[in-house]
Amino acid sequence: MDIAEIQGYAYFFLTMFLAISLYAYIYHLYKNKKDATGVDYEEYSNMALNDDIDTTPVKSVSDEKEK
Amino acid sequence: MFHWLEKHPFFFAVGVFVTIAFAGLIEILPNFAEASRPVIGTKPYSTLELAGRNVYIKNSCNACHSQLIRPFKAETDRYGHYSLSGEYAYDRPFLWGSKRTGPDLMRVGNYRTTDWHENHMKDPEAVVPGSIMPAYPWMFTNKADIDTAYAEQLTVAQFFSVPYNKPVPMKDGSTEIVKMGNSVAEAHALALEEAKAVAADMKDQDVKDAVARGEIPEIVALIAYLNSLK
Amino acid sequence: MENRPLEYDYTVAKMFMLTTILLGIVGMSIGVFIAFELAFPGLNTVFGEGLAEYTNFSRLRPLHTDAVAYGFTISGIFATWFYVGQRVLKVSMAESKFLMFVGKLQFWLYVVGVAAAVVSLFLGYSTSKEYAEFEWPIDIAIVVIWVLWGVSIFGLIGIRREKSLYISVWYYIAAFLGVAMLYLFNNMEVPTMLATSPAGESAIGDWLHSVSMYAGTNDALVQWWFGHNAVAFLFTVPIIAMIYYFLPKESGQAIYSYKLSLLSFWGLMFVYLWAGGHHLLYSTVPDWMQTMGSIFSVILILPSWGSAINMLLTMKGEWQQVAASPLIKFMVLGSTFYMFSTLEGPIQAIKSVNAIAHFTDWIVGHVHDGVLGWVGFMIMAALYHMSPRVFKREIYSKSLMAAQFWIQTLGVVLYFTSMWIAGITQGMMWRAHDEFGNLAYSFIDTVTVLHPYYAIRGVGGLLYLVGFFMFAYNIYKTMTAGRAVEESELANKSPMGA
Repeated sequence: MDIAEIQGYAYFFLTMFLAISLYAYIYHLYKNKKDATGVDYEEYSNMALNDDIDTTPVKSVSDEKEK
Repeated sequence: MFHWLEKHPFFFAVGVFVTIAFAGLIEILPNFAEASRPVIGTKPYSTLELAGRNVYIKNSCNACHSQLIRPFKAETDRYGHYSLSGEYAYDRPFLWGSKRTGPDLMRVGNYRTTDWHENHMKDPEAVVPGSIMPAYPWMFTNKADIDTAYAEQLTVAQFFSVPYNKPVPMKDGSTEIVKMGNSVAEAHALALEEAKAVAADMKDQDVKDAVARGEIPEIVALIAYLNSLK
Repeated sequence: MENRPLEYDYTVAKMFMLTTILLGIVGMSIGVFIAFELAFPGLNTVFGEGLAEYTNFSRLRPLHTDAVAYGFTISGIFATWFYVGQRVLKVSMAESKFLMFVGKLQFWLYVVGVAAAVVSLFLGYSTSKEYAEFEWPIDIAIVVIWVLWGVSIFGLIGIRREKSLYISVWYYIAAFLGVAMLYLFNNMEVPTMLATSPAGESAIGDWLHSVSMYAGTNDALVQWWFGHNAVAFLFTVPIIAMIYYFLPKESGQAIYSYKLSLLSFWGLMFVYLWAGGHHLLYSTVPDWMQTMGSIFSVILILPSWGSAINMLLTMKGEWQQVAASPLIKFMVLGSTFYMFSTLEGPIQAIKSVNAIAHFTDWIVGHVHDGVLGWVGFMIMAALYHMSPRVFKREIYSKSLMAAQFWIQTLGVVLYFTSMWIAGITQGMMWRAHDEFGNLAYSFIDTVTVLHPYYAIRGVGGLLYLVGFFMFAYNIYKTMTAGRAVEESELANKSPMGA
């Protein structure tokens, strides 16, 4: 097995892996509207819109610690 | 898995890095050794040529002149044989350029002479009417940095095994040796010897006098470099 | 002191806003000057024969590119990071003395680095590699500055109140990592003072001089892997970070699709790095790399347009804002130019098109519709948005801003149209043969024909520079003479919309 052959296999499996990852990610984003902690992805936009220092975070770090 | 990555900045950063890094590995590494093998007939630069090459870089000649002939009829008609990878084996850095405001210089040594360059560098418009290249009169008075060129030769010989003082195969089957001095003084002597040959073909009396005094103006080094481009 | 409510601390952001404007003026002025040098070569000696060595085209050209890339753009990136970073992570720089110190240290080192870079480039110290011309001591300084920025980014993330990272922070992190990797590998060089002669002499010659670790074709490959992606990680990634924050904020609209922004992010990260090979088409690098560079460049349209369309759709139903606010105009036209140059780039990367376009002014035109139309507009828009909040004063003049927008837009249009024509004209003339198969034109014919286009380009650049001076004046007057305003009054509204 020479280097070109190894590269060929590597290339094939890498492409497979990347294609699967890509579609898995798209599926993940659009099928599960909410993430694991129940926050809808679109709500993250509010991180920019409500960004004063005294506004409530979309998902607070301290919430996590209290749990 | 994706959520997790989005909430852990460190692993997220690692993920981003892997994503951006491996394209470089795949593109650059496989060909590394082969691309740097010199073709027969390519030899390392002499001290004076290297000093001239540094003058070329100092004045960003590569901002307007390429050193890469593409394999098209229009280019080979105009500039000569298309470029081969191994011809650049001793080019650190490469000087392909990215813009041809002026013509390609890859093989300028084949069709321009010392005399032509001298006149052209003094007043480009007089040699090529309509030229927009600036004149470079200071090259006739500034002194070439032979010390640094010599240090560069030593560096590439020590770190990258560039074959100085060793026989290099030529196209006709013979070998040639590019000499490198054993000390700064010797390097100067070698450069001066070469500079005298170039200055003999030049007209500028100040340059000729300077070389006779043992000084090497930048223009002499630059022309030696340009003449070596074949 | 204890009773004062916590506020975002913009000290470092202000410092970098200043260098953004100053270095923008320096870089763009040099650009306009050298553009006219090409049109009217007499300008090479306009400051006298004695200074010609320092004012001719070739010496100034790297100074122009580096001043706008590492001066104007990087300052803009830093300034916006020290503003956006705090806000989307909901943590103030005032909360950490350490981060404040690191931020200020980064600024002052940056100033020293810029000064050293300017002086050394004027003197002709150059490694000749485009956008990486600095010699090794400055490279080391740049690495230190970059590491300090990394400490700021991850330090601020470490003390954040918002658990998730906003998409802009993703892009800033990517910019940090990408530039770090590219810059380090491309600038691998050996200082020549390390060599010892057989006679035992060491530290010979100029201590600043160095040689590249790579030779010839490899050097070219590494350089354009760097060069192309320096464009990616300086002129694209952090600028997207800015627009994903400033456009929603300025318009009061949520991003059209947050999911699409995430998808485009990973797409861009993955695809961009492969495309560097398109700078080396028909060169001596192997064919498969050239082809891959070409193909990935075309694929790159997808993630680029993913981001660009997302930005434009954010304005859905709110297009009256574009008419009403000059600030929104800057950002919307910026996204449009981004779409436009990310379509133009892949077209130029197609091998048969590249055969004509490469080495010509079309490439210069492409770079400039991206940096003037997209990077420049976006950074200026960001600073316009930040100023009222940072200085707590209203923008000095809205009509001046609108006038600036139209003058600069005209400048960009003149710039890229003239360069297209110049590039394609020259590319076609180089390859033209007469009926006997001889070259139809000598090289100088292809230079003199470009004169009118070079003159138009110079005018285009000059208009953009005039606009930039208007911007600088407007910001200066905002700082000193604007009507005082509290941030709460501004809300999500445009500074002049309130």
